[in-house]
Amino acid sequence: MNAHATDKVAPVSRYLWVLAALLALLALTAGTALLKLGAFNTPLNLGISVAKTALVMSIFMHSTEGRRLTFMVSLLGFIWLAILIGFALTDFTTRALVPAPW
Amino acid sequence: MNVLSQNVALAASAPMVSEQYDDARQQREAATLGMWVFLATEILFFGVLFASYTILRVLYPQGFAVASRHTDMLFGTIETGVLLSSSCLIALAVRAVKLDQHRVAVWLLSATAMLGVTFLVMHGFEYYKEYTEHLIPGIDFKQPAPRAHAVELFFCLYYCITGFHSLHVTIGVIVIVVLAVRVKNATFGSQRYTYPELTALYWHLVDIVWIFVYPLLYLVGRSG
Repeated sequence: MNAHATDKVAPVSRYLWVLAALLALLALTAGTALLKLGAFNTPLNLGISVAKTALVMSIFMHSTEGRRLTFMVSLLGFIWLAILIGFALTDFTTRALVPAPW
Repeated sequence: MNVLSQNVALAASAPMVSEQYDDARQQREAATLGMWVFLATEILFFGVLFASYTILRVLYPQGFAVASRHTDMLFGTIETGVLLSSSCLIALAVRAVKLDQHRVAVWLLSATAMLGVTFLVMHGFEYYKEYTEHLIPGIDFKQPAPRAHAVELFFCLYYCITGFHSLHVTIGVIVIVVLAVRVKNATFGSQRYTYPELTALYWHLVDIVWIFVYPLLYLVGRSG
């Protein structure tokens, strides 16, 4: 008898399918990086990375299966990072670099 | 006496619940929450490096494209595949622990650690290649003049990011080996799997960091 019946165990096939999807996304990102897509290369690569991360977090890390609070905390780091990079970029993209006079 | 021995037998198989928790589940959820908070700080640890990267890439887009082409895309791609596979294996290992399949879990954990070591060895070869190509800023750096400064900045970040990432992989491998030994000794099982689960969370985060390192360091300017 399992006292933790609430913790359902996913079938092995689900993990293997996710791995296959991750490796396919890896092949996709490596392949498209070689195509001349101009300004779209970087957003596409980062979009694929976000998709891979979503797969790893939801299936491998079970981030959506526990309490809602845990799920929200799992996104915290990314939100803080977005704030850090977002505000840093507002500075660097809107102001001219003034070289020091000495 | 009889009750005492019963309690000892219970303690060996059941999780030990600290007195501040109602039950094992609440204790496990608290531990998982704490781990996610730690992982958020880890994201910020690498986050400052990614923020520096973003700013410098905005300032030197051409230089970063030139620099990125100096990295080894084939090695980077294989390393990404290795880490993704290891993530799957450790997720399966935690599953096996939950199902009391100790032998399977030990094998899966050993394979995960081996993939981690494979990653580190491959990175060692990459560093050696960059050393022979005079791409070590401050020590041995020789590049053609026009974009040398930006290339040097890129490689400063390259060594910081991949170096700290490799440090995390090394710590992960050690923790996973310790975990494998403890699983072999049947310390964990269907009633007690918080430690394996948290170790896996850490390893997955190391994988996620690399998922972003790969396109940012290896794939810039490949089509140019």
